[in-house]
Amino acid sequence: MKLPQKRKKFLILTLAFTSAFLSILMFYEPSYYLSEADYNKALAPRVLYWGSQGQDVKNVQWQLVKWKYLVGKVDGIYGPETYRAVRRFQAKNGLKVDGIVGPETAAALGITLSEAAPASAQGLNRQSDEYLLARCIHGEARGEPYVGKVAVAAVILNRVRSPQFPNTIAGVIYQPLAFTAVADGQINLTPNKDAINAARDALNGWDPTYGALYYWNPATATSKWIWTRKVTLKIGKHWFGV
Amino acid sequence: MERRRWWIAPSILALALILSIAWGYREYQTRKQLQTTLENHYQRIFFDVKKHVENVQTNISKAMAANSSERNILLLSEIMNEAYFAQDKLAQMPIPQSDIANTQKFLNQAADYSYYLIQTHLEGVPLTKEQRGQLASLRDNSAKFNEELAKLQSDLADKNFTIGSMSNRQTARIEEGNENVFQTTLVNIDKNMADVPRLIYDGPFADEMINRKAVGLTGEKVSREEAERKVREFFGGNRVKRITAFEEGENIENVRIPSYTFSVQLDNASEDRATYIAVSRQGGHIVWMRNPRAINNEKLSIDQAQEKARRFLEEKGFDNMEVNYHQKYNGGILFNFALTEENVTIYPDLVKVKVALDNGEIIGFDATPYYTSHHERDIPKPKLSLQEARAKLRDDFEVNSERLAIIPKGKKEVLCYEFKGTHMNNEFIIYVNAENGREEDVLQLVIDENGTLTF
Repeated sequence: MKLPQKRKKFLILTLAFTSAFLSILMFYEPSYYLSEADYNKALAPRVLYWGSQGQDVKNVQWQLVKWKYLVGKVDGIYGPETYRAVRRFQAKNGLKVDGIVGPETAAALGITLSEAAPASAQGLNRQSDEYLLARCIHGEARGEPYVGKVAVAAVILNRVRSPQFPNTIAGVIYQPLAFTAVADGQINLTPNKDAINAARDALNGWDPTYGALYYWNPATATSKWIWTRKVTLKIGKHWFGV
Repeated sequence: MERRRWWIAPSILALALILSIAWGYREYQTRKQLQTTLENHYQRIFFDVKKHVENVQTNISKAMAANSSERNILLLSEIMNEAYFAQDKLAQMPIPQSDIANTQKFLNQAADYSYYLIQTHLEGVPLTKEQRGQLASLRDNSAKFNEELAKLQSDLADKNFTIGSMSNRQTARIEEGNENVFQTTLVNIDKNMADVPRLIYDGPFADEMINRKAVGLTGEKVSREEAERKVREFFGGNRVKRITAFEEGENIENVRIPSYTFSVQLDNASEDRATYIAVSRQGGHIVWMRNPRAINNEKLSIDQAQEKARRFLEEKGFDNMEVNYHQKYNGGILFNFALTEENVTIYPDLVKVKVALDNGEIIGFDATPYYTSHHERDIPKPKLSLQEARAKLRDDFEVNSERLAIIPKGKKEVLCYEFKGTHMNNEFIIYVNAENGREEDVLQLVIDENGTLTF
């Protein structure tokens, strides 16, 4: 009687594993979307310290109170109590004990810090433009030399200014059939530092293409039409034209 | 025991089959749902485009019939809106850009032209005969466009065609005579739009603005060897180890500032980081230069960096340049210098210089705006005094600084009083025309520790 029981067990276990495996296949959705935290790390991140004020400090205090590191009120001012609570939290969680909430401590607290902005900005900044451009550069021109990355961003900005194309950066980038990196989802990869630098250089006016509206890779371009463009310059692997 | 074993393998397989069928069905359902959502979106856009174009057409007719400039201004702003909407939505359709380029241009220019006419109305200038003619042509073309769209709409209703199915066909431009009514109709519309007579006006989307040539380049054409010599001279002291020219296409002369472009290896740079530089074919001027090296420890103060940038410009022969804004990023700081003549700041003649904050090296230079617009100017004497201009501002606008400046206005330039100040805790620059006291422009400034952004 011993053997059949073992077999039964084996059978049940196999069935359980198979169904578990298949249901993982069914319901697993890979997350290839980048996180906001990665981006903030790539940019100069905001840091909270003694004397900081605002909503971010409130978020930090809120978490510290919730986890009983801080007894006191959530007032949005980084004072001595918050400082000591942050140090306690850092010591407990194996972080560098410095009483400063940087990206790592913030991540351990489960919050993201917003970018530093002056009171008068009211949310006015170039960050979203920069970020979207950087993502497009990363998707379209990852293996290109630096000048080739800026050139791709410059083409996007030239299109924004052209009457033949949409009038916003997002409009140009997400125009259907315009960019392969958008169509295949590569635009959703986290851009690296180089892509962000290139986006900034392009937004600050550097146009190595002298006003080009099109670019294509002769090795992979499938459209014959693209060769009817006026060809001006080759940067990296891409030809540029108007 | 041997008898019991036979069903184990089949039952596992059966279970796997059931699960994969369930999985497949779920995928199928999701796909169908997404497809429907997308198709609904495209249908909505298509109907919207039709409606917006219709509104453009009727509003132009109304504007031509109306007599008062008040009514005309309202109608023209309506036209501008509707044309921009139509353009924006058309660009979201899954059609290759090359098939709708002219249509988009038509809509953008219709909107831009309306904005231009609003401005002339506000200045109290009645419409000229030419402008009425251009409006009539705009109306006729949007009517034709609208007619085609109406035909297409009824065709589509019969044929049970889905717009979403077009995106599968990718970028291949569909030839004429194709049974795909949707695309052929749009291609035909686009062909007609290419023949629309060009609008003569002054605005950012006007043909004249787009095809503008650089006026600031002086001197004879230079050869590539000569250009290379200029590059070595620019960096000075045998700093150039290697110089490689970019491959050029046959239409390189067709750009705004035709140039030779080089990639340069400098003596102190790592092998994987080249410096890029452009030399204009006419006159052999350095148009831009950029050294994208990494910068680790920032040691220089803003003032020290500014001094380096100023000295660099003087060395390169740019006199009377005055720094206006700076922007700190990627370990460097970018200064905007504008030309000053007779105490007037000339914003179109702009040169940008980027200084590395570790050792003060010049890592970026861009004189594209300067060479695009620089010319001998006769700066007029302002008709308004500073006090008179200041009186045009709001009482609660707190002025911090004031000066005379020339700013671009379409393809023209206007002399203005520039007032920097604050209103309701926000920083602004307001430009008051020094000739007639009109408020020419208002810019909002956002200032933080990295510099200034204008909106």
